[in-house]
Amino acid sequence: MPAAARTYWLTSPCRIRRKDESLIIERDNAANVHIPVTDVRDIVACAETDLNTAVISLLNRHRVNVHFLSYYGDYAGSLLTSDTSTSGETVAAQARTAGDPHASVAIARSIVDACAFNVRRVVDRKLLARPYTVLRESIEDSTSQAQLMGAEGTFRRSAWEVIDTKLPDWLQLNGRSRRPPRNAGNAFISYVNGITYARVLTAVRLTPLHSGIAFLHGTMERQRHSLVLDLSEMFKPLMAERLLLRMASRNQLKEHHFDRDTNQAMLSDTGRKLVVQTIRDEFAVTVTHRTLARNVAYDELLYLDALALTRHCLEGTPYKPFRIWW
Amino acid sequence: MYVVVVYDTLAARNPKILRTCRKYLHHVQRSVFEGHLSDAQLRRFHNAVETVLDLAYDSVLVYTFPPGAVPQRLEWGAVEPAPTDVL
Repeated sequence: MPAAARTYWLTSPCRIRRKDESLIIERDNAANVHIPVTDVRDIVACAETDLNTAVISLLNRHRVNVHFLSYYGDYAGSLLTSDTSTSGETVAAQARTAGDPHASVAIARSIVDACAFNVRRVVDRKLLARPYTVLRESIEDSTSQAQLMGAEGTFRRSAWEVIDTKLPDWLQLNGRSRRPPRNAGNAFISYVNGITYARVLTAVRLTPLHSGIAFLHGTMERQRHSLVLDLSEMFKPLMAERLLLRMASRNQLKEHHFDRDTNQAMLSDTGRKLVVQTIRDEFAVTVTHRTLARNVAYDELLYLDALALTRHCLEGTPYKPFRIWW
Repeated sequence: MYVVVVYDTLAARNPKILRTCRKYLHHVQRSVFEGHLSDAQLRRFHNAVETVLDLAYDSVLVYTFPPGAVPQRLEWGAVEPAPTDVL
């Protein structure tokens, strides 16, 4: 991803205004902050945010996307700049690949496999060894996307159960629940997944790929970035499950970081700030990339994966979805 | 690269240069800015500042640090909070 610009995370209610061809963030409970537009790569708005036309045209000129998370922390939508890297050839190639049942199932297979591999790597290699072999067998037998998603669901369920054994009582998931998440653990996972999704969308927008043409998730659904769902699949374990287990074992997550009702939960204001800061730092962590032979931030891995998929569609280079290699 | 910019201009031109700097860098003190810039951004910044300045009277100092380096800073007094990306 282009360097020398950062992602900005808005964690308290604010208004973004344009001032002197640059941005100013106004908040009720804190002083105004000037942000240099050239320093902004994209913005993740985790709290209520107001903006107007003047800001939007400025953001568009500087190619800055804004992602919004709703009150409950699920992905609410994005303000996307007009496409810069349009390439009809790529989109046509992508559509051809997605339209070819053989090719698209092959990609979907590798995505499901890579996702499960990462889950197992993050959660527990030993306890998930058996479910993983079962999954690989059913992947081989599957001939459609629906079967693959089913197989993945079965594997995920055993993974959630293993995760529960490593969490304190109050954080346990008791099965994955969404919209709204039923308990604290689920609220955490939903939140991190929402942010990961937004980051992958930014990465996809840097490539000429069409975000609606997918290989694993339903392509026909309207108003959904299905491709982003596909690509974020491999990265969710790297962020959500891993951070949940780590923050729980380090006792960083406390009960006051969540607002809990009888049947739903969400992060509280302090919790949201803590989680956002943790994720921000996590995305900046670097690992040595084997083929590039240089250090690469987690953030850039998303972009590299989107690029690899582009290359697969255009040139037929085999696409190997991201697997945790360290 | 990390950049620290200090300017000393005629009071009448201060607001103008302040606005230009704000587009590229974080305001940390009355006439001090800092932040990350790419080579291209630095060049653009340089050009933008040049059009505002009276080169016979004003001066701007730009301290650059090699890639990856972030200068440590010690603070005294009522310092503005350091620029952050979590707001």
